[in-house]
Amino acid sequence: MNNDTVMTETLAETFDSLNIFLPKEAKILKVRDTTPYERHFTLKYADGSKMLFEPGQILEVSLFGYGEIPIGLASSPTRENSFDIVVRTVGRVSTAINQLQSGESLYIRGPYGNGFKLNQLRGHPILVVAGGIGLCPTRSLIQYILDRRQEFKGFTLFYGTRDPAQQLFIDDLSDWRANENIDLYETVDKADETWKGHIGVITELFKKTNISADTRVIICGPPVMFKFVIHELDKIGISHDNIFVDLERRMKCAIGKCGHCQINDKYVCLDGPVFSLSDIIHLEEAL
Amino acid sequence: MTAYFIEEKDFNDFINQILQVMPVIAPVAKEPLFSFEELQNAEQLRLDYDLTILPPKKAFFPPQQVILRFNAGKFEGTVNPRKQVLLGVHLYDIKAIDQTDFLYTENYEDINYTAYRRATTLVGSNIQNIAKRAFWGSISHDVPAKGQDAFMTKLDAKGYLFEVFSDKGEELLAYGNFQAASQAQIVLANKINQDIKEQCPEKLNYSREEMASTIRQSFKNTALWDELAEDCFSCGSCNTTCPTCYCFNIEDQWNVDQTSGQRTRYWDSCMTEDFATISSGGGHSENFRARRGERMRHRIMRKMVYLNEKLGSQACVGCGRCAIACTADIADPVQIVNRIMEAAHE
Repeated sequence: MNNDTVMTETLAETFDSLNIFLPKEAKILKVRDTTPYERHFTLKYADGSKMLFEPGQILEVSLFGYGEIPIGLASSPTRENSFDIVVRTVGRVSTAINQLQSGESLYIRGPYGNGFKLNQLRGHPILVVAGGIGLCPTRSLIQYILDRRQEFKGFTLFYGTRDPAQQLFIDDLSDWRANENIDLYETVDKADETWKGHIGVITELFKKTNISADTRVIICGPPVMFKFVIHELDKIGISHDNIFVDLERRMKCAIGKCGHCQINDKYVCLDGPVFSLSDIIHLEEAL
Repeated sequence: MTAYFIEEKDFNDFINQILQVMPVIAPVAKEPLFSFEELQNAEQLRLDYDLTILPPKKAFFPPQQVILRFNAGKFEGTVNPRKQVLLGVHLYDIKAIDQTDFLYTENYEDINYTAYRRATTLVGSNIQNIAKRAFWGSISHDVPAKGQDAFMTKLDAKGYLFEVFSDKGEELLAYGNFQAASQAQIVLANKINQDIKEQCPEKLNYSREEMASTIRQSFKNTALWDELAEDCFSCGSCNTTCPTCYCFNIEDQWNVDQTSGQRTRYWDSCMTEDFATISSGGGHSENFRARRGERMRHRIMRKMVYLNEKLGSQACVGCGRCAIACTADIADPVQIVNRIMEAAHE
């Protein structure tokens, strides 16, 4: 580093434009309570600029004084007037964010990472397996496929939650149930009196339909879910090159520096969060 | 490279002249070792130091760094470097700085690091005394040090050879009474810097490739990693004192007015228990490296395997700081690597 740069006070302003840690303000256009623990925000940059991203990419979302958290984009770039995130109340930052109302601001860095590999999905049957909050990042892809349906073949969605009250995007689900462009199969671990659908773990849904061996599969959900779903896919004979997993880690910086999201020598924020299974199945800390 | 000579009697004046113009961060005595501090005067300088408690990266990557300030929804960055000289850096630490320069520039350049680094003139100095757990003679020893603007070698009681490698190094000549070095002085300096490499108290007896391949093959030897980490307190001292560690955490703090505050990054340690933990709500959490053995494995893989291709050397420079800092004395890479190599042949 031998750049001989003479520093002056005024240069500090120029530095702001190069500073990857400075977020942009986004206005909350709409906020909905989706479950008792999750809120669904529709956002737009305050300066009117568009969020350019791929389904599966993540944002660092912050509230000054509380901190920053990594969150997957929950809407499709094909719906370009705004972008969505869903925040689960977990810790200090998410609790503070979930107090906000429409008209208030969040602060955003991103998008970061590699999304769902659309070029490898186009022209093939698609299965999305989403567990719990795993429907948030995959909703971005689901909307994308529905908006550009002719680019893909058969489209199946498996969605599992602990109980019916945990279901996210109630309005979307009711649309999708009626939509002939998507085959939706739902299950809950534990039913209540309102539930008329399937009860049991998500892998039982494989019995309800025929998933062909040339299907491209996207899995997103709690860590425990991956192994069981992969086991079912192995039985069908789907190549690990055609299975894509969306991983959750503690992505503090999202720029491949801070170290928290590492799986062996991979940075989830840079190399993921979407990986092809064949790239990570051999990594012991991955799944 | 151009080489100059400065006499011992003129040396303090050289340092004091720089101090008139800009800060000089250099080794001074600080119990129980030495420490890179901003010099008040040349007399404090201890170029005979063996090792500093913390590595010199703190001159541009401080343990705590405010990265933005906010006030009621308005915010601004804080990058505003000053010209400074970081002087008296040993070869192993120069190599570590060069690695960190690369890592903070690749993919996304972080100007919260690079702006301060670029404003720093890096002046190395030869190792006059050797720390008790040093092994830089046998790790990354074949990798040339890069990134220094100048390098000083104490030749004898009479003075120093001062080699210049960049314009920033050249600038310093204006502050001292330098003369052109003789060929004999250059040869002598080379010999001094070569001879010292043989004198480290600890030694790794394997090539970089041998170590990397055997350690990687030992990945799934859980019993071995658990054994190596059995006495670990998960305190993170090995990370905190490491010149090549660069991980950090980020947190916000309010000022007392509860309206303004700052976002701060600070050094973090992959050996601490919660480094890779995520919360998933409802009191549930997932720790992806919950066991001490897994964290030890991650640290050693980072130092000896994962970054080798990218850096052209291991991410360990053999300073021995971790070995000295570790309360349980289990952090020493020499002992760890030797144990892994032995286990592979058991």
